[in-house]
Amino acid sequence: MDALLKVEDFTMHYSTKAGWVQAVDGISFALNRGQSLGLVGESGCGKTSIAMSIMRLLPYNAQTKRGKIYLGGRDIYSMTAEEFRQARWKEISMIFQAAMNALNPVYTVGSQIVEAIVEHEPDTTEEEARRRVAELFDLVGIPAERSDHYPHEYSGGMKQRAVIAMALACNPSLIIADEPTTALDVIVQDKILREMEEIRRRINMSMIYISHDISVIAEVSDIVGVMYAGKLMEIGEADDVFKRPRHPYTYGLMHAYPSILGDKRDLATIPGEPPNLMAPPEGCRFNPRCDRATDECRAVEPLMTKVAPEHSIACHNPVWAPSSGGEQVGVAR
Amino acid sequence: MIMRRYMLGRVGQLVLTLLIYMTLVYFLMQAMPGDISQMYLANPRIPQAAREELKKQLGLDRSPFLQYISYIKNFFTGNLGVSFSQYPKPVWDILIERLPRTIVLFVTANCLSFYVGFVLGRIIAWQRGATVDHIATVVGITFWTAFYPLLSLILIWLFAYTLHWLPLNQFIEPALWTRAPFTSNTVFGYMVLGIALIALAVFFIFWTLRRGLRRTRRSAALAWGMTAGVICLAIWIAHATGTLIYIWDIIRHMMLPVCTLTLINFAGTMLLMRDSMLETVQEDYVMAARAKGLPDNVVRDRYAARNALLPTVTSLVLSLASSMSGGLVTETMFSWPGLGQVLFRAALGNDYPLATGALVFTGVFLLVAHFVADLLYAALDPRISYTGQPAEG
Repeated sequence: MDALLKVEDFTMHYSTKAGWVQAVDGISFALNRGQSLGLVGESGCGKTSIAMSIMRLLPYNAQTKRGKIYLGGRDIYSMTAEEFRQARWKEISMIFQAAMNALNPVYTVGSQIVEAIVEHEPDTTEEEARRRVAELFDLVGIPAERSDHYPHEYSGGMKQRAVIAMALACNPSLIIADEPTTALDVIVQDKILREMEEIRRRINMSMIYISHDISVIAEVSDIVGVMYAGKLMEIGEADDVFKRPRHPYTYGLMHAYPSILGDKRDLATIPGEPPNLMAPPEGCRFNPRCDRATDECRAVEPLMTKVAPEHSIACHNPVWAPSSGGEQVGVAR
Repeated sequence: MIMRRYMLGRVGQLVLTLLIYMTLVYFLMQAMPGDISQMYLANPRIPQAAREELKKQLGLDRSPFLQYISYIKNFFTGNLGVSFSQYPKPVWDILIERLPRTIVLFVTANCLSFYVGFVLGRIIAWQRGATVDHIATVVGITFWTAFYPLLSLILIWLFAYTLHWLPLNQFIEPALWTRAPFTSNTVFGYMVLGIALIALAVFFIFWTLRRGLRRTRRSAALAWGMTAGVICLAIWIAHATGTLIYIWDIIRHMMLPVCTLTLINFAGTMLLMRDSMLETVQEDYVMAARAKGLPDNVVRDRYAARNALLPTVTSLVLSLASSMSGGLVTETMFSWPGLGQVLFRAALGNDYPLATGALVFTGVFLLVAHFVADLLYAALDPRISYTGQPAEG
């Protein structure tokens, strides 16, 4: 089956006064129709940059160095601006990191959704678009009559739902959700995630979730990609990655998260901090913080290699963790 | 209901502000050195008894406080007193003749310069760093900092004296009006009324068609066609009543001062708009609009510029105030017979009633302008609520 979204060796750098920031470096992944991908990583690891690259919404100082992004088989960076403008929202839409501010304060919420529908489906009348907005509001759990209200009359959770409704407006085949629930409290967050996942499955849509919160990703993704310092470190089926994390960074990330259900234990932290992306370390970018680093790690950059049919990592010295999740080998703390 | 209460409260505030302002103006006038009594009454050829009689007649024999009380009382009954220098012409008659000319000139100039500044600011913010940005900024700043009287002289020299495109100065061409069956004020009144009606009609046309305008070229063509129709109709009516050439004469005389004021002032709004819009283009909703696949000009106008407009409305009111107070210079340079000149002469001639009346009406106009601006804010920004209910969330 042809992948809906295919990212091949995509590399994008930001030009700054101090030099090039290597924000996204050699990222490759593919996403099929109906699948959901979770991208997880620390702040500044390039998750949002990837999302913006796929949306072609990069700031003026960003430069794509290598690689291609295919959406439904078409290379998006060889499409004209007008062609891609028409593809936006119809084929690929987005839920923004700061959903609170993604609504124009001077227009009613409903009219902003109607605007998008009417723009992409010129045959739709205003009344049909309004009816669709009412359905969408129903879907995300906002009373339909609220569509005539202004964004400031909404609560945070409602704005988030409205932004989700807006992303669904043109029935896109892919939605990128960049930190969709970070601004919300945990209870609302969980509720909205579940609802989004339910809607996604119902209409067989693809989704990319981006979050620094590994629990969010675990809840909703079919495939998980772990990013660090502009690079993809590990990608694979969610079950496999969470049960048997191979990359020391993934392993560290998972153990840096408290579990409510598991045994009481000290939180393991990953020492150090992410590297400066203007001058990333030689070899593996994670090597200065990795307790398994060898001379090879410090000299040679590891390539993505398959460790299971749907599971690849970029590591010279992977962690092997038994599926039982019991005793760990290699990571001694 | 709540809105009416707000309006009533706001009008009450206006009246109170006006009272304070009038008090200040009144006592400032009293504090001016010398007074009318010296000019009129110190005349040794007038006998003492006649002098006392005159003083009594003018009400100058009472204490300043009593004079003030009766002034305020008379003001609110519509009596502004009698001008000393143009005795016995009532102040009100002078003001009603001069005030509209001043208001129309400055409101037109301000609206035009605001519009030019808004449109240019929108373009240069959208293409920040481009050549057009640099050119507009340099040109705008040059005019903004130019010495105003000198710039008006240069423009008069260029367009009136050298090119003969526009009249040199004044409000009307006297030769044309000697045989006119109307007075200039009647024609002026009809002109203002007519332009207001046209503006209202055009606004109504665009407001009714606003939905279609965004989507189809046909409704845009329809709207512009109807606008042209309304203007043609207005011109035809003016022609049929025989006022057209006179209206055109007044408009021609307005052009140079309006253009000068616009050139001087547009950069203020332009730079404010540019700064304001450089902030709004960073907003998430602008990126969201782009992500939604809206065309570039829609993102610019309906998202970035629409929100950047809000803080610049303040500048519209402020510049109106400053240009009204600077009105004297403009009216002198262009010999525009407006309120500024009246005020100037009255102040020099110790004509208290007239000077006070002129100042108070400038104040009344600005207070009304502020009130309109408040309503405009509420109309432009749904987050501002004057209904007394705080916005939730």
